[in-house]
Amino acid sequence: MSALILTSVLGVLLLYLGVFGNKRLLAPVAVLGLLGAIGVSATGWWMDVPLFAHMVRFDGAATAFNMGMTGLTILLFLFGVDYYARMERDVAEHYALMVFSLTGAFLLTSYTNLLVLFLGIEVLSIPLYILAGGRKNSYRSGEASFKYFLLGSFATALFLMGIALVYGVTASFDLGRIQEVAEAQGAAPSPLFLLGLFFIAIGLSFKVAAVPFHFWSPDVYEGAPTLVTAFMATVVKMAAFAGFFRLVHLTGLPPALANTLLAMTVLTLFVGNIVALRQTNFKRLMAYSSVAHTGFLLLVVLGNTAASTSTLFYYTFTYGLATVGLFVVMTLVKRAANGSEEVRSFRGLYQARPWLAITALLLLLSLAGIPLTAGFVAKYQVFLLALQAGFLKTTILAVAMALVGIAYYIVVVREAFTADEQPLEVQVTPLNGLVVLLCGIAVVALGVWPLQLP
Amino acid sequence: MLLAALLLLPFATATLLLVARPEAQARMLAMASTLVTAVVVLLLWAGYPGTAVTVVDRDWAPAIGLRLVLGYDGIALLMLVLTGLIFPFIIGAGFKQQLDRPATVNALLLYAQSFLFGVFAAQNAFLFYIFYELALVPVFFLLLFWGGEHRRTITVRFFLYTLLGGLSLLFGLAWCVLQTPAPYSADFTALHALRLGTDVQLWLFWALFLAFAIKLPIFPFHSWQPETYTMAPLQGTMVLGGVMLKMGLYGILRFVMPIVPEGVLFWRDLVIWLSIGGALYAGAIAFRQREFKRLVAWSSLSHVGLLCAGLFAWNSYGVSGALYQALAHAVLLVGLLYIVGAVTARTGTGDLGAMGGLKLRTPRLAALFMLVLVNAVALPLTQSFVGEWLMFNGLWQHNGWMAFAAACTIVLGAIYMLWAYQRVMLGPDSGRPAVADADRDDHLYLVPLIAISLVLGVYPGPVLDLLEAPVQQMLNTLTALN
Repeated sequence: MSALILTSVLGVLLLYLGVFGNKRLLAPVAVLGLLGAIGVSATGWWMDVPLFAHMVRFDGAATAFNMGMTGLTILLFLFGVDYYARMERDVAEHYALMVFSLTGAFLLTSYTNLLVLFLGIEVLSIPLYILAGGRKNSYRSGEASFKYFLLGSFATALFLMGIALVYGVTASFDLGRIQEVAEAQGAAPSPLFLLGLFFIAIGLSFKVAAVPFHFWSPDVYEGAPTLVTAFMATVVKMAAFAGFFRLVHLTGLPPALANTLLAMTVLTLFVGNIVALRQTNFKRLMAYSSVAHTGFLLLVVLGNTAASTSTLFYYTFTYGLATVGLFVVMTLVKRAANGSEEVRSFRGLYQARPWLAITALLLLLSLAGIPLTAGFVAKYQVFLLALQAGFLKTTILAVAMALVGIAYYIVVVREAFTADEQPLEVQVTPLNGLVVLLCGIAVVALGVWPLQLP
Repeated sequence: MLLAALLLLPFATATLLLVARPEAQARMLAMASTLVTAVVVLLLWAGYPGTAVTVVDRDWAPAIGLRLVLGYDGIALLMLVLTGLIFPFIIGAGFKQQLDRPATVNALLLYAQSFLFGVFAAQNAFLFYIFYELALVPVFFLLLFWGGEHRRTITVRFFLYTLLGGLSLLFGLAWCVLQTPAPYSADFTALHALRLGTDVQLWLFWALFLAFAIKLPIFPFHSWQPETYTMAPLQGTMVLGGVMLKMGLYGILRFVMPIVPEGVLFWRDLVIWLSIGGALYAGAIAFRQREFKRLVAWSSLSHVGLLCAGLFAWNSYGVSGALYQALAHAVLLVGLLYIVGAVTARTGTGDLGAMGGLKLRTPRLAALFMLVLVNAVALPLTQSFVGEWLMFNGLWQHNGWMAFAAACTIVLGAIYMLWAYQRVMLGPDSGRPAVADADRDDHLYLVPLIAISLVLGVYPGPVLDLLEAPVQQMLNTLTALN
C-alpha cells in the first residue's frame, strides 16, 4: 500500500520537476523513487491484510509482481536516460505518465474488488494512450495512439458492461462474494452471470493481446516510441496477467467460460507464432511473439493449480527482462542502421560489438526457450502445469508452437551473427550497456537458479 | 572428482579461449585440454568398479524435478571414453584444415565436448535434456560461421529439425515426470521404475523415440543429415557424426527402452525395417555420389541405420554390437573425414570424377586410406567387423530376413567404399602438378586411429566386458515383461 502512495507522489513530483525545467534530475529522481518503492514493497511483504474496506489486498503474489514490475520500469528508465536525451522537448511527462501507469499496475495485481480492477485498468491504460503518441511529429506514433485509444475504449466499455452484469446477479463487486454466488449456482450458472464474466474476460484479453483481440498490438508496438513499446510488452503485460489470474483464481471459472478461454488460448498460440514467422520488422516480430507468449501464459492462467502464481510471475518477469534487453539492443542497432527496424539490420552486430551480440543471443535464446536460460524453465513449467491441469492436446500444440517460436528467434540470431560487408557502427553508452548486460545476466542466472515464489 | 574434471576442464579452457583469444596458441591449448581429458577418461575406465557409480547427487531446482545427479555405468562409461578419445582427433584435424579465428573454433568445439560429457554423465533426465540441447548451440555457430555453401539456410534447418525432436522429448519427459509419485522426480532411477499402461506406452514411444531418431538419424527422419554433413566444416562434421550422433543411441538406451518397453516390443519390427531399409537406401545413394564428402555422409547414414537395427534387435548380441559399433563408427568416420580433407586439399576438388591416379604421387596417403577403409568395409580383425558381426547375430536371433537385409547393407558398403577408393587413388595419373605425399602430421593423426581400430578388432574384450553387466540388466526387464 505504501508503494502505491509512494509512486503516486513520485509521479506528481516528476511532473513538477518538468515544470521547473530540470531535465537532468528526472531519471535519477525517478529511479531512486522506484527503488524506494521496491524497498517499501519488500518491507510490506508480511502485511497481508485487506485494505481500504476490502478493496485491495497486497498478498505475497501481489508484492512479488509489484517488485518485478518496478524493477523492469527501473531498467527502462535507465535506458530512458540516453533515449530521452535525444528528444529536445520536455520529457518529464513521459516519466510521470509511466510512473502513473505503474501505479495502475499495482492496483491490478492487488485488487479484491471489481471496481478496483476497473480503476487499475484505466489508470494503467490512459497514460499509455498518451505515451503511444509520444513522438508528436510522427504520423505512425499518432496512429498507434489513436488506434490503441479507440480499441482500448471499446474493450473498456465491454468490460464495464460485464461488471454491471455480474453486479446484477451477485449484488456485489467483491470477489469473495462473487465466488460464493458462483459456487451456490454450481454447474448451471445463470446466463447473465456467464455473460458478465465473459465480457470481463474479453476486456482483459484485449489488454494481454489474446487472439482475436490482438489486432491493435502489431500496429501499436510498431508505431509507439520504442521505450513505450518495451513498457507495454513487459510491465503492462505482467500487470494484465496478474489481474487476469487474480480474477480466475479468486472467483473460479465456470466450465463453459473455461472452455471458451481454452479455445482462445489455442487460437492465440497458433496465430501468434505462425504470423510471427512472416515478420521482417523487428518490432512487429516482437509484437506477434508477444501474442505468442500470451498463449503460453493463458495456459497458466487457465491451469490454475498451486504452482500457477509462481509460474506466472517467473514467466512474465523473465520474459520482461529478455524483452527490455532486446529492445535496448534494437534501439542501438536502429541508430546504426539509419533508422531501419528490419530484422535484416541486425546483420553484422557480432562483428561490430561481440559482447552486445552475445548478450542479445542469450536474451533471444531465453525467449526461444533453450536450456539454461530462464525462458526454458518458464516454458517447461508451463508444459508441466498444463499437463497437470489435463490439457493434453493443447500442451502438444504448445510444444509444437514452441518450436515455431524458436524458428523466428533463431533467424534474428542468424542475422546478428552473420558478417556484413558494411560494418555496423553501433555506439553503446555505458548505461545502455549496463541495462543489456543486467538483463542478460539475470536471464541466465534465473535460468540456472529458478526462482520460486513461496 | 575425475568426472567433474571432465565437465569443467573443457568448459574452462573454452571460456579462456573465448575471453583471451590467444589466436596463435589456440589450437595447442585446445589440444592440451583434450589430451588431458582423454587421460582422465582412461583413468576413469581403469578405476571402474564394475557397477554403476554415482559421483554427485544433490538438489538443484526441486520444483521442476531438476537435480544434479552425475554418474556412470558401463554404457555411459563407453560413451565417455568415446568422447574423450575422439576429441583430440577432432581438434587435431584443425592443424591441417585451418579455419580462420582458431580461438573461437576451438572454444566452440570444447564447449561441445563439455556438454557431451554432461549428456553421458547425467543421471537425471532433465539434466540430460539440458546438456542435450546445449550441445547443439556451439555446433550451430560452428556451422553458421564456417560452413560451406547455403550455410545460413541449412544451419537453421538443422537446428530446427533437431529441436523438433528435442521438444518432443521434453514433452514426453514432462508427461513421465508427472507420473512419478509426488514430489515429482526426473531421476533415471525414478523414471525407470515407472510401470506405464500398454496403451500409453504405444504413443509415448514415439514422443521419446522421435528425438533420437532425428538425432541419429534413421529413415525417414534423415533429410537434414546429408546436406548438413556436407556443408559443415570438417571438424563440425566430425563432432556431428563422430560423437553427437551417439547421443541418439545412448538416449534410446536411457529413455526409450527402460521407460516404454512394451512400446518397444510393439514397434520394434517397424523400426528395424525402417532402419535397415534406410541403410540400404542410403547405401544405394552413396553409391551414386560424385562428391567425396557427400559420399561419406550417406555412408554414415547407412552405418547408423544398421546400428539402430542392431539396437532394436534387443538381445545381448544386438545391443552390445550396436554399442561396440558406435565406438568403431566414431573412429572410422573421423579417419575417413580426415582423408577426405587431405585428398580435397591436394586435388583442390571434392569431385570424385575429377580425381584419380593419386596413388602414383601419394603412395603413403593411399596406404593410410586403405587401412582406414578396411575398417569401413568391416574386414575381419577390424573393429567394425566385431560390431557388425555381433549386430548381425543379434538380428539373426530376432528374424532371419532382417539379418539377410543387414548383410546386404554390409556388402553394399564394401562396394561403394572400394569404388570410391578406386576413383580417388587408382587409374591413370590425372596430370596435376606435384602434390605432397602424407607427411609426418598425417601419420601422427591417422596411425593412432588405425591402431585403435585394429587393436580393438583383435581384442574387443575390455570394451565388451564393460557392456556386459548393464546390457544384461537392461535385458532382464524384457524377460520380466515376457
